[in-house]
Amino acid sequence: MEMAASKPMTKIATAPAAAPRRERLGRWRVPLSIAVLCVLPWLLPSKALAVNVLIYGLYAMGYNLLFGYTGLLSFGHAALFGTGAYVTGIAIGQFGTNWFLGMLAGVIAAGLMAAAMGALSTRTRGIYFAMVTLALAQLVYYVALQASSWTGGENGLRGFTVSKVGIGPLSVDFLNPIVKYYVVLAFVALAIWTLSRILNSPFGGVVEAIRENETRAKACGYDVVRTRLLAFVLSGLFCGLAGTLSALHLAIVPLDSLGYMMSGQAVMMTMLGGVGTFFGPFIGALAFLVMEDVLSLWTAHWQLFLGAIFVALVLYMPKGIWGTGLVWFERWRGR
Amino acid sequence: MSNDDLLQVDDLGRSFGGFVALKGITASFGRNRVTAIIGPNGAGKSTFFNILSGALKPSTGSMRFRGNDLARLPQHRFVHLGIARSYQITSIFPQLTAHENVRIGAQAFASRYNIWTPRASYHDVSERAEQALADVGLSAARNRIAATLAHGEQRALEIAIALVADPKLLLLDEPTAGMGPEETRAMVALIERLAADRTILLVEHKMKMVLGLCDRILVLHHGRLIADGTPADIQNDANVRSVYLGQSLGYA
Amino acid sequence: MDLQLISLQLFSGIALGAILIMLALGLSIIFGILGVVNFAHGSFFMVGAYAGVFFLGYTGNFWWALLLAPLVVGVLGLGVERLLIRPLYGRPVDDPILLTFGLSYVLVEGVRILFGTDGVPFDTPAALRGVTNIGIGYFPTYRLFVIGVVAVVLVALWLVLEKTKVGLIVRAGARDPQIMRVLGVDIQKLWLVVFGIGIGLAALGGVLAAPMRTVNPEMGNFVLSEAFVVTVIGGMGSLLGSVVAGLLVGIVVNMTSLVAPEMATIAMFAFMALVLLVRPHGLFGKPGFGT
Repeated sequence: MEMAASKPMTKIATAPAAAPRRERLGRWRVPLSIAVLCVLPWLLPSKALAVNVLIYGLYAMGYNLLFGYTGLLSFGHAALFGTGAYVTGIAIGQFGTNWFLGMLAGVIAAGLMAAAMGALSTRTRGIYFAMVTLALAQLVYYVALQASSWTGGENGLRGFTVSKVGIGPLSVDFLNPIVKYYVVLAFVALAIWTLSRILNSPFGGVVEAIRENETRAKACGYDVVRTRLLAFVLSGLFCGLAGTLSALHLAIVPLDSLGYMMSGQAVMMTMLGGVGTFFGPFIGALAFLVMEDVLSLWTAHWQLFLGAIFVALVLYMPKGIWGTGLVWFERWRGR
Repeated sequence: MSNDDLLQVDDLGRSFGGFVALKGITASFGRNRVTAIIGPNGAGKSTFFNILSGALKPSTGSMRFRGNDLARLPQHRFVHLGIARSYQITSIFPQLTAHENVRIGAQAFASRYNIWTPRASYHDVSERAEQALADVGLSAARNRIAATLAHGEQRALEIAIALVADPKLLLLDEPTAGMGPEETRAMVALIERLAADRTILLVEHKMKMVLGLCDRILVLHHGRLIADGTPADIQNDANVRSVYLGQSLGYA
Repeated sequence: MDLQLISLQLFSGIALGAILIMLALGLSIIFGILGVVNFAHGSFFMVGAYAGVFFLGYTGNFWWALLLAPLVVGVLGLGVERLLIRPLYGRPVDDPILLTFGLSYVLVEGVRILFGTDGVPFDTPAALRGVTNIGIGYFPTYRLFVIGVVAVVLVALWLVLEKTKVGLIVRAGARDPQIMRVLGVDIQKLWLVVFGIGIGLAALGGVLAAPMRTVNPEMGNFVLSEAFVVTVIGGMGSLLGSVVAGLLVGIVVNMTSLVAPEMATIAMFAFMALVLLVRPHGLFGKPGFGT
């Protein structure tokens, strides 16, 4: 309240570096995203990179729903990604479910995890949120580390290779990289369409209103805590789906998929692409993965440059690649 | 007075730690009247307003609005009962257009958690928002980003957001704060129009405006209600005079 | 399980808590005055430990290392505030979090370049090896020393806060920043100094912890979450809260490890979850602070 008045960092977080709200491509954003992703494997040097863009792009997209659109900076999304991945692996490897039930279990588990984390973290206000989500994700990490009979502990979870996916008599070879890409894309496309619907829904409007002005949103009659909790759960479902796809893709779940760095990657990719923009997360994931590839070829200490680039990004280009591009476009149009 | 049945507060009080911001406020408010709450800085006006709008919970006392107990109600329920407010420092959604701002206000009565249906399909919500914009004279600015509106327009927009809830009780916290004479006149005219069919409570420093606009004035001082009456009563009240020592009421 | 073992474990918990207090105090002071949550705090703790390693090797003397490491890292903190944090004042509150998060990558990788990726040993100084009888049993001398140093730092900090003008300002800042303006304080200089002190405290924690933990570039990540747990439990911006919560967390961790060692870390986070359920703003935090 007034306590914070003369501290330097007191401005209410209006949309972390909010990009211009009206993306010109709004109406076509879903078909456009899917079209670009359809040709992506032919534009990138490797199919493996393309699959990673899909999975991490989806992860960042789910994260962006919470950070960009709802305005909540979480440092614990690895717990949601990792829960999706682990539960899928455990369902297939230890309970012998088919691939689809495994995925379903993973996504639902991530949603439940998000509900639990969200219930605790959305009770706190403002600056606590980042700290609490980080700590809760660490809790999940250490539980997974200790429950090694289920999770494989430090060695990660193995032994659930899915070689064919299909419905009924129709099945395709999931080990073929290009087939795998399009199977993953089918789920990612579904997620993109769903997200677009959420953003266009009444709830999508409320979420943005709360980000813009929490006090006014409350006075307008919206239950801010409950709305944020729902946004957290939806975000968790997307990130859980990303984790689930990652488990199927890699046929292993490393313990690091629950780690602090994994949470940080969601933040970095989203910032890099453009917080609160529709295309930003995928662009950010692509930029991040390419940067990682290129830098790590060149030096073992690529994280130094990654960190420095991120610091520079926050200082000089907080709207990210796509967000900044949109600003330039609007300026050019405005002339 | 059988008309005084819209809002009743009884022995309302609020303290922060050891500091008593408001104490023993008892009053009733009837329908379709304009009441001003005045008092020097720190008199407890904001605290009183924040309690009436649900932003703060009272430490003591009770408040009833149209038969509903408000004391323990969460803030977001207030507007659904028919109490809406504006803030001393303009509180709008700066990056949304004027129409979207008001739309959010209207949507709370149609859908809050629907994640699937396109919000553009809620035509009645949009129309309600258009009407509220028209009521405050902002129809022409409907597509402008709120942050780019002039100060007076932003104040009017905020009232439109409150108005779209069709409140029975409208709380206006210094509606003319920071306005020049021209904008102030427009705002007074707007309030007079709105007062025709709803109850308005306002906090205001411009005494001339208060005396011309309101039919009742409450004076707070050090968190207590020291006077309650018609503008004429208040002008002649010895207590009030001593509080506003050296200031001539009516020309401030 | 006898009473003596329990008391010794309790004491051990206080030693762990003492380190956490150093971290949480720095975090809390920086947040209280600057409104910045420093996500590089764990990394500065780690850099402090490595600075200790460096000065120990350079001077061959633990005491010099204990003195120089916090000073040098504190000065590094001054530079960080001046060059990186200051441009962010007036921007959304999340920006410094993001920036310091990126900075932690740079610090960790920088240390890897300078000192290698493997952990390095940090020997307990000869004078502080062995155990001491503290009445209830024998207790590692070095841990006693850590408790002592932290106690001295706390008393010194308390004296500064109570008796000096800077202290008055910091206390005022933690309660009502309006006063700072009235007092006509050079706020920019205050921000600089407070950030430096906060970082220096983290670094001191790092040197003190070095002989008790492995010194490796990743040690800061875990410590950061520990520090957050303490701050969330104690209440952001409350110095008393940092101290009480630090001790509580240290004791909870050590008492759990007495019963079920593998649950110790989990118990710490579960404790935080419990506090959040009951008091979302922490034990000593004010509701609304840090919104």
